[in-house]
Amino acid sequence: MHPALWVSKTGLSAMDTKMSTISNNLANVNTTGFKRDRAVFQDLLYQVNRQPGGMSTENSELPSGLQLGTGVRVVGTTKQFSQGNLEVTEQPLDMAVNGRGFLQVLLPDGQVAYTRDGQFQLNSDGDIVNPDGYTLEPNINVPENATNITIGKDGTVTAVVDDQAAPVNLGEITLVDFINPQGLQAIGNNLYKETNASGDPAEGEPGIGGLGTIEQGAIEASNVEVVEELVSMITTQRAYEMNSKVVSATDQMLQFITNNIG
Amino acid sequence: MDKALYIGMSGAKQNMLAQRAHANNLANVSTTGFKKDFAQARSMPVFGEHHPTRAYAMTERPGTDLSAGALMETGRKLDVAVEGDGWLAVQNQRGEEVFTRSGSLQIDVNGLVRNANGDMVMGNGGPVALPPFDNVQIGTDGTISIVPVGGPPDQLVEVDRLKLVNPPPAALEKGEDGYLRRKPDQALDGPEPPDGNMRVASGFLESSNVNAVEEMIANLQLSRQYEMQVKVMSTANENSEASARLLQNL
Repeated sequence: MHPALWVSKTGLSAMDTKMSTISNNLANVNTTGFKRDRAVFQDLLYQVNRQPGGMSTENSELPSGLQLGTGVRVVGTTKQFSQGNLEVTEQPLDMAVNGRGFLQVLLPDGQVAYTRDGQFQLNSDGDIVNPDGYTLEPNINVPENATNITIGKDGTVTAVVDDQAAPVNLGEITLVDFINPQGLQAIGNNLYKETNASGDPAEGEPGIGGLGTIEQGAIEASNVEVVEELVSMITTQRAYEMNSKVVSATDQMLQFITNNIG
Repeated sequence: MDKALYIGMSGAKQNMLAQRAHANNLANVSTTGFKKDFAQARSMPVFGEHHPTRAYAMTERPGTDLSAGALMETGRKLDVAVEGDGWLAVQNQRGEEVFTRSGSLQIDVNGLVRNANGDMVMGNGGPVALPPFDNVQIGTDGTISIVPVGGPPDQLVEVDRLKLVNPPPAALEKGEDGYLRRKPDQALDGPEPPDGNMRVASGFLESSNVNAVEEMIANLQLSRQYEMQVKVMSTANENSEASARLLQNL
């Protein structure tokens, strides 16, 4: 069969993948703490059809050979961990990380997941939990009669209990950082898990050691830039169309030869 | 049997190969730093004992278009695009130093800087490794400076400098892995010397230099050429049918 068919097919499937990345970004334009993905393309291996420097006759050699590419593929999607805008919500348990670092939540299976989504609430036991009900790690329990919960920039959580003048320290929120955050595995629900590529989590107090500070009463918006995504969408669509044009032109060629010879 | 049938067949086959080269260019229209391949046809005369009328066609890749693609802003600090001439040096999986313009850099768990393909990016003293940092900055000459973890933001530490090279374009060819390298007959004794005059832009990536319209037109033209070769084949067929009929009527 015509080799260009397969080459264009790789182009079509790579553009398809890019389009799904873009649509996932756009779908999450309002997701708190969402980090956009970018599809990374790479050309596939080249095949040597005729070696450069091969002999064309006994006394002459070919100045250039024929090396043909086999198409394109998406080598991966990279998450862009740039800071999203901070939106002030005035909710006492909303927190945004201003700078590097991730908040930790405890999954039901006992593992720790990492997130930039700081929309926390209280559950019936008084624990601070994320929208899925997973407790913050380290766990912080707010007594029943506590008022005026304050989260400091360094993660200290205090509250006024029983209307006493001195606020009570309820615990410390810590942040973790990774040497290669792009290596984290996104598991959905705004959560990430560590992998071999991300490295081990380095835990620390917010605001120290390069970790960001915690801003109470704010959440981090998605870092998707709508205009950029729309422009990517247009270029991807056109590239897709042109690759499909090659497929149909190639098909017509094969049709032509079967109609005319045989 | 008329030899024109074989000539036509060789033409059609070489057209298919050329089309594949253009299809590959078009498939890589969104590949960062991709350099398009040229395709040209050469006539290969095969003169026997008879009239010198036979010349087969042969498709070849005379080279790669090294012109720069457009710069796309990404805002990511570890994305670098080479401005003007020059190449980033990376070490491929076979340990050879090869050149690329695709500068989407990543940092692996050991602090080594790798490109999107996972190959190590070379600095002036071997592969670039960065200690843990709060912030990183790549200067226009490829110097990488960082704010170490917990360090004051006003004290940047210079760590390494990306190896930027500028071999003569005529000495370069694209290898099977898609990276550029020196042609075997242009090879240097040692590693490629870094060139201090090269400039990079941080926060940008270089787009593919494929002109999509040009590739599509080339493909259309090759489609038509192919049809003409098929026409030669079918004419050769008709001729031989006609002579067969003549022989039957004898």
